Amino acid sequence: MENSQSEPTKKKCCCCSTGEGGEDRRCFCCRAMAVLCWLGLFVPSAFAGLWSLVSPLFGRKPGVMEVRVATLDALPEDGTPQKFPIIADRRDAWTQYPAEPIGAVYLRRVKDTVEAFQVVCPHAGCFIAYSVEKKQFYCPCHTASFKIDGSRIVEPRCDSPRDMDRLDVKIVNKTDVMVVFKKFQTGITEKKES
Amino acid sequence: MNALIRWLDSRTGVVSAFEAYWTRRIPGGPGWRYVLPSALLFGFLVQAISGLFMWMAYSANAQGAWESVFWLQECTRGGWLLRGIHVFTGHAIVAMAGLYAIQLILSGMYRAPREFIFWIAMAMLFCSLGLMLTGDLLRWDQVGYWSTQVRTRFLMLIPIIGGDLFQAVVGGSDFGHLTLTRFIALHAGVCAVGFGVLVCCNLALLRRHGLSNAPAVDSPEQQYGSGQWCRNFCGWVVLSAIVLALVFQNYWGEHPGQLRGEYLGAHLGAPANPAEAYSAARPEWAFLALYQFANIFPGEGIAGTSVSWKVVPIFVIPSTLVCLFFLMPFLARLRGGHVFNVCVTLAMLVACGALSWACVAHDRDNEIFQRDVAAGHLEELRAKELAHSPQGIPPGGAISMLRNDAKIQGPKLFAQHCASCHPCVGPDGKGIPCQKPSAPNLFGFGTRKWVAGWLDAKQIAGPDYFGKTKFADGQMVGHMRDAVKELLKDKDIADDVKKQLAMIPIALSAEAGLKSQKEADAADKAKIAEGREALGEDVDCLSCHKFQGKGKTTGCDLTGYASRDWTIGIISNPADKRFYGQPKEASGNDRMPAYAESPNEPAKNLLSQREIEMLADWLRGEWYEHK
Repeated sequence: MENSQSEPTKKKCCCCSTGEGGEDRRCFCCRAMAVLCWLGLFVPSAFAGLWSLVSPLFGRKPGVMEVRVATLDALPEDGTPQKFPIIADRRDAWTQYPAEPIGAVYLRRVKDTVEAFQVVCPHAGCFIAYSVEKKQFYCPCHTASFKIDGSRIVEPRCDSPRDMDRLDVKIVNKTDVMVVFKKFQTGITEKKES
Repeated sequence: MNALIRWLDSRTGVVSAFEAYWTRRIPGGPGWRYVLPSALLFGFLVQAISGLFMWMAYSANAQGAWESVFWLQECTRGGWLLRGIHVFTGHAIVAMAGLYAIQLILSGMYRAPREFIFWIAMAMLFCSLGLMLTGDLLRWDQVGYWSTQVRTRFLMLIPIIGGDLFQAVVGGSDFGHLTLTRFIALHAGVCAVGFGVLVCCNLALLRRHGLSNAPAVDSPEQQYGSGQWCRNFCGWVVLSAIVLALVFQNYWGEHPGQLRGEYLGAHLGAPANPAEAYSAARPEWAFLALYQFANIFPGEGIAGTSVSWKVVPIFVIPSTLVCLFFLMPFLARLRGGHVFNVCVTLAMLVACGALSWACVAHDRDNEIFQRDVAAGHLEELRAKELAHSPQGIPPGGAISMLRNDAKIQGPKLFAQHCASCHPCVGPDGKGIPCQKPSAPNLFGFGTRKWVAGWLDAKQIAGPDYFGKTKFADGQMVGHMRDAVKELLKDKDIADDVKKQLAMIPIALSAEAGLKSQKEADAADKAKIAEGREALGEDVDCLSCHKFQGKGKTTGCDLTGYASRDWTIGIISNPADKRFYGQPKEASGNDRMPAYAESPNEPAKNLLSQREIEMLADWLRGEWYEHK
């Protein structure tokens, strides 16, 4: 050891011609290479981890979910909105839940047709409540409020980026109210399915 | 002994390392102002110990998280103490990390060469906030679930990648098992380990650069072991005392028959219910200011884009401020930079304080908020009562237990399906009101008082009975109003009729077999027998109703009247021949829908068998009650 140190070598760097070989014959670029190679050994494990971590992003999208929610008779004729749970099968990762509440909708009778609104507030995902006295929807979390037809009340300020999310309704056999249940992204003005 | 120590030191170096640590110089002498870094270390160690033991009892899945925390809190010895220490030390750490960062700025100790000490302090603050946020969800109760829902949904505010980011964090488009597995890994792995590393780095850098810029003097008074260690120790004692005081804050007071876990330690609310939002969810204290700040901004899209203005208070301004704080060590090099930094820090403190206070004050005066809090509390008590019951928590988890509980679901089902016609309001005005009542008031269904109303000519025609139905002028009302009135006029039999009218409700109400009248029914066996006889006597109920095989079937069958089976039957199909099965023009069903008309095709029915059972049980006041 002592011997080799006392005779400094004049060799060029092992990997590049620019680097002047020092006493230990390693230039910055060699060290960087070493570190990179060393880090490279972690690529497979980190990649595998991230790959499985983001896999829910590529999960199967639920198909069109048409749920029978109520009968026409159950809806007040004066157009007062009424909240109904959506009962459907649900999958959570490895568990398959048979028919259980997966969300809720407001149904509102307008003459012979029915309007349906997602109960989830488009702002931050709380559940919107309905005030019978004020004949308004309001969100108890951040005070967004909506008219009875689901449109925003913007004065003085509305926390919601868009009107309440309307859902498609079909009336089958003249009595059964079927709702095409969907969930939407919150916090954006665009009504985008999540 | 000395030989052993020398041997140990020569092999490991620990003894001399401790010696060096103990005698290291503190420039300017020891002081209380240096207590925070060591208190943070102590806090971290306490969290590591308590957290590890909690982890041994924790189950990170949607049907097991609340259940395992509940079990730890209320069914194990000392679990409440463990949770209490962990939760309140967590709050203390956030406060201390914040104070430490502020202290560094105000004392100027963030300037060169201590930039990294300051950055580490900032990172410790964020790490402790991260621990608070992730820990909040783990107990999987309504408050934690819904405040985390809102928080994670804020990720969707970020343009383009927001939606995917949310899914990656939450592990799908909805909260579930994967949210918990991810959050426990973030909490106990990423944030906790990160915090521990930062605490140690902080101490190491403090040693490298010294606690202050004062000139170092070689005197025994300026050694760590001479005064600083006991100040630090005092800091640990004070921190422990505060945490224990918070754990035991409800110790004094009346707690008849309660377990320690029910009132000591950290709070545990009702189990998370993805289908019913807890509207009174508010962020932890450290985030109240941000919550209130965000409420100032509208939700509207920013001019022509789909990005909401909310992105400004939630991401743009906070991250700008964070950048500003990270740059403070460099700003301090400029003239007036330090003064600027101090002013910004103080202004931030004042603003955060004011916003948090505004939020608390707003909620305190907010009736809706208080009402939602109270409703959540009732649900919590019920969930725990059921979990402690002999049936306990079923394999489907606490939520399936609540979804099958008549006391919780009854009023909800009634409000949804019955209250558009039936009120259920007691004499005190409490209960479930009906906007436009058009059917009998079902408060006290099946009780003697309620049944007696049917036999009272005035009441039966009133709004609480048949007054608003098509039977308002029907056979039953007519019978009570005319025929029975005539009987009462006849002096020879008036007393008998009166007695019959008094006994019939007792007999009919006994058919219901209500839990609340168990004792009364057992005591009044003779009256009940008399009442049964009376059905066929002068008042002559059997001229329309059937009872135990006798009588006609114009009206509903009185056998087992208002019993569980009878009540389930009438909700399932009121037009069945047992109830109002007669042709409409005779006495048939008025408007009540059949909620389970097709027993063989459950999918066609409005309510499931279990829902109807719960409605019947609730109407009849029959549910588990811990005595």
